[in-house]
Amino acid sequence: MVTELKYEISQNAYIKLVLHALKHKTTAVNGVLLGRVNPQKENVVEILDSVPLFHSNLALLPPLEIALIMVEEHYGSEGLGIVGYFHANERFDDAELGILAKNIGDHICRYFPQAALLLLDNRKLEALPKGKDQSPMMQLYIRDASKNWKLVGPDAGSRLLIKEPAANIVLSDYIASEKWQDVVDFDDHLDDIKKDWLNPEFLK
Amino acid sequence: MVSKTEETQLNRLENQVDNGGGGTWEYICLVRKLKVRRSDKVLKHGLSILNDPKKRSALGPEEWTLYEQVAIAAMDCQCLDVAKDCIKVLQKKFPESKRVGRLEGMLLEAKGSWAEAEKAYSSLLEDNPLDQVIHRRRVAMAKAQGNISGAIEWLNKYLEIFMADHDAWRELAEIYLSLQMYKQAAFCYEELILSQPTVPLYHLAYADTMNSPYNNNGSRSAKKVLYTLAGLENLLTAKKYYASTVDLTGGKNTRALLGICLCTSAIAQLSKGKNKEDKESPELQSLAATALEKDYKQRASDKLSLLTSALRSLKI
Repeated sequence: MVTELKYEISQNAYIKLVLHALKHKTTAVNGVLLGRVNPQKENVVEILDSVPLFHSNLALLPPLEIALIMVEEHYGSEGLGIVGYFHANERFDDAELGILAKNIGDHICRYFPQAALLLLDNRKLEALPKGKDQSPMMQLYIRDASKNWKLVGPDAGSRLLIKEPAANIVLSDYIASEKWQDVVDFDDHLDDIKKDWLNPEFLK
Repeated sequence: MVSKTEETQLNRLENQVDNGGGGTWEYICLVRKLKVRRSDKVLKHGLSILNDPKKRSALGPEEWTLYEQVAIAAMDCQCLDVAKDCIKVLQKKFPESKRVGRLEGMLLEAKGSWAEAEKAYSSLLEDNPLDQVIHRRRVAMAKAQGNISGAIEWLNKYLEIFMADHDAWRELAEIYLSLQMYKQAAFCYEELILSQPTVPLYHLAYADTMNSPYNNNGSRSAKKVLYTLAGLENLLTAKKYYASTVDLTGGKNTRALLGICLCTSAIAQLSKGKNKEDKESPELQSLAATALEKDYKQRASDKLSLLTSALRSLKI
């Protein structure tokens, strides 16, 4: 009897990704999820951090390759690995998981078979200030037995949880104060290596 | 396309204006000149001028250009009422104007009234069949509706007429890239390099495109890179263009230097036991690696060890 896989994302990892998407409203953005399998609960994947990657030409593979090497190297020394991928589409109306996201997801699955794909849910995000929604502003996709990416149903809320229940309130505050201006992604780093994709001071 | 110096200048000016230090008109003009998309700022600061009768009249005839620029910025920020007001002012001043007609079309687009917008544009095109802006709007509309293949079709038609439009070639390249159609994207970059051979951005984009494996079955692991045979020629081309980017940017472009390292590593892997690549590669790669390490040591020392291990993992 296989227990269903659950994903728990930390507030910081979550907020960083959403703010990154908001910083670059006119383009698609992506990022990687860092974490590990919960040592006590094998069916729970903990997403403990995230690194925003690119906001332009996401399909160019050389920058992606470099980013993955450096990210793995850094987090590897902390005992964490790449456990998933985040993507936000360019258009508000586009709620489809595109080819590129699936390909990158497939690649990550080679090293971590339980990898998750998170797609920003634009409509949910639009409704955020008005509601009391505690669930993440993202859709969860997991690979099924035939290696196809499937959206985890309307009850995704129970399989993708934010660790800290008040995360969306914090997120709303940050959005109101335009905190997304300070997010640094790997693209920014490649343009100016002084910029730190680890965003060390960002959510302190 | 904006150079680093221009961007720094723009950001400095933007900061100044944001903090009440003046220079608003200068900032708005610079945004227009550089054709960057800073709609929220243009809207905010543009309105501050337009809503102040003294500041407005000080602009003279430029007042109308500002109305146009603010209208477009407003539409980008989905402030359709503001856009409508600006357009109304322009309609009053320039009745029957085609330029204002275009703005009306854009407003229909912003509202999502695609069919009406298309009708408006078609009728404008009847009198001006070579209106570049309207042709571009058609592409934009297709893209906005998620009709990517339509956008590609319109854009290709557009480029048959306006083949010197570099922005359009870039747009087409980026659309192809978003669909992972690397071969087609490469073609666009080739056109750009032909027409503007000294722009490093095109060399770099071309190199990165050629360095992205065409075959999605070619797995790409972080540690070892496997490419299909057809990839070798593309990799050699990529290396050439990373090198030319380094040349054109005085060795300061991090992406190109990294590209060289990635590329030569992949070439060496593919040509193992083929005697194809001569000893020229190791020098180029080690020069690039040295340049990178020097730069990281100086400006991003906390990331130096990551860089070093990354480079180490790329050497066979």
